[in-house]
Amino acid sequence: MLSDARTEPFDDLDRLSPEALDRWWTRKLKRAVRLAFDELPFYRERFAAAGFDPTRFRTLDDLRSIPISRKEDLLTVTRNSKSKFDAVKSYAAAPDARMTVSLSSGTSGTTFVMHTRRWRKLQGYSSSRAHWWAGLREGTPLVMSAPAWHAYASIQPSIAMHFSNPCVVVSGTFLPRFADRIVDAMLAFRPRFLTMFLPMVFSILATARRDGISGDQLFAGVETLVVTGAPITPGMRSHLQDLTRVKRVAEIAGSSENLLAVDCAHAAGLHVVPDTCYVEVLDRKSGRPVADGNRGAVVHSSVIPAGSLYLRYDGGDAGVIDRSLCPCGLPSPRIKLLGRWEDCFNVGDNTLLPYDVQFALETEVPELRGIAMVITREGLADGMLRLLLAEPSGEAATLLDQARARLSRRFGVPVEVSAVRDLPLRFKGVPPILSEREAASAA
Amino acid sequence: MPSSRNLADCRFYRERMGADSKPRPWGIAELEAFATLDRGDPFAGRVRPGVTPKLSLQLEATADPSIWIALDPPELDRWAVVVERMWKRWGTAAGETIAFFDYGSSPLVLLASSGYVGYLRRGAAERLGLTAICNDGVAAMAGRMVRIVDALEPSMLIVRRDLTAPFSAALEASGVSLANRIRWVAISDVEGCATARETAQLSARLGVAVWRILRSDAAFLIAGECRNCRAFHLDRAYLAESLPSGHVAITTRFARTCPAVRFDIGVALLTNGGCSLEPRAQRVEC
Repeated sequence: MLSDARTEPFDDLDRLSPEALDRWWTRKLKRAVRLAFDELPFYRERFAAAGFDPTRFRTLDDLRSIPISRKEDLLTVTRNSKSKFDAVKSYAAAPDARMTVSLSSGTSGTTFVMHTRRWRKLQGYSSSRAHWWAGLREGTPLVMSAPAWHAYASIQPSIAMHFSNPCVVVSGTFLPRFADRIVDAMLAFRPRFLTMFLPMVFSILATARRDGISGDQLFAGVETLVVTGAPITPGMRSHLQDLTRVKRVAEIAGSSENLLAVDCAHAAGLHVVPDTCYVEVLDRKSGRPVADGNRGAVVHSSVIPAGSLYLRYDGGDAGVIDRSLCPCGLPSPRIKLLGRWEDCFNVGDNTLLPYDVQFALETEVPELRGIAMVITREGLADGMLRLLLAEPSGEAATLLDQARARLSRRFGVPVEVSAVRDLPLRFKGVPPILSEREAASAA
Repeated sequence: MPSSRNLADCRFYRERMGADSKPRPWGIAELEAFATLDRGDPFAGRVRPGVTPKLSLQLEATADPSIWIALDPPELDRWAVVVERMWKRWGTAAGETIAFFDYGSSPLVLLASSGYVGYLRRGAAERLGLTAICNDGVAAMAGRMVRIVDALEPSMLIVRRDLTAPFSAALEASGVSLANRIRWVAISDVEGCATARETAQLSARLGVAVWRILRSDAAFLIAGECRNCRAFHLDRAYLAESLPSGHVAITTRFARTCPAVRFDIGVALLTNGGCSLEPRAQRVEC
């Protein structure tokens, strides 16, 4: 990455100093907290239970007096309410009849996110900033990549209109079996900017390859490929660049609950998008902010006083924060989401996320970067790391022994690495933790 | 409506123009055949060269080659009005919720809200004061659709034809009944419509009124079954004509960027007016 590359400011907010941005955030959060207390029963009750007085909110440190909310809290309030719809509205600012509602699904259940026109306007502007940072400019066709049930789908129209981008709507939904349709869209409209969920990138490459189209042919003219939905390692980023020949591969981390961060050209963490949210990374035991670079729970507060409001929301992500100045000039701190705490596991003296295994493998044996991989439950149960790797081609096949030895040394635990004939493309990027039986049936 | 001179700017129509300055009626097969000859034109000769439409929508009904339709913002709004009027005929009330079990790329979803597609000023749901929610249009999400019904209490549902079976099964498995809570369910097919028998069976199974939607995205055609005469009422955005073959052809008045003139919907019976609910509406039975 360029050592002196500066991000062209989107507007004056990007020109603030970090201190001025903190003051800006304080004002915005003060307003959001006040609104939550005045209008949203969900928060009023939680504030009262925690003894939090919103009139005493003065600085960003005062945020810590606000109780943290989790998905389970939203599910509980819905479950216990006579009208579930009213319960969903209990944390939404000024819900109106003309809203769209998106879904936030996960292992613990589905919650609903309300998008009013005002939310779409404010979030659309903020998301346009995020896409500007990532390299989106006027004129290029925008391939609409998000299914309508997803919050991102409510934002894409605003982004397209902000930049006057022609919209290209691909039929179907975001599953690998529709990859051929995205390939058709890319070939027909030749976008210069493309946003895509990480697993879909591999699906469209495989689909194109079957039709005799190489990665660089498919991505010809694409200047920025933005991947979302999974944290990418440096090795995965360069792997994608190799496959597509796209100069800039950027990452956007976001959630339906208004977390949004994007990396700049330096690719050393993702800048928090300030007019979407404020982010804290907290020690999971003490609840206090962790030092820069230390791993903690990512907790965010939306600054958009419209639609579903999330204040100090812990979405279950593990991450790190870096408050040092970025050479790109953007004032907001950088975060990196590394995975879900629910996927965290212990092996030997290590507490790891699948991201760590991916990162370790590509660091120790760079030739294996980007390979599809599974971490087996059986291995973890035996106190070891047992990895199933998609059978590498050519010389890479001889590298499995190296991987075994080096990972074992790195983590101080026994490591087994086995090549398997076939693994789904969706296992590229962040390896899932599966039983060997599950891995075999998924292949 | 595009004049024959404007139509001649589009290669697809130029090559179909008859001596009467009208293009010969055409269907999906003719469009696909044309697209196969020039795979470099995503619109299969229906958009004037050099024009960059604000919205391009991939037809779900065609795959190889992939074909796109195109609209500019005012056309998008006019299309949304067609959907608005269709829902209105079935009955809606401001403040209610409409839920979709379909792909987000279906025009029925896209046209519901400016939150679903760029350049749409006001979607059908926004015009009627409705809240809209879309579930992913795949069978694996049938359980989630039941959760939507349970939690968001929609009054209207639009369901993809191929999802009616998994959705019905998921409702039954969870013990959630639509009767007394849903005003109507409408069934949409990618091209054409469900059969009357099919929707009658579904209505009996779900315990609610089930209406059919006649749809052909290549011609921007969306028409709803009338609850009175059970024919499809054509919005005034369309002009239908009977063909000597016994087929009916549709011309879409608002489609200028990507004209849809004399689209052949197949064998159908066309009636001009006569239904007491909408006495002047053209009606199609198929």
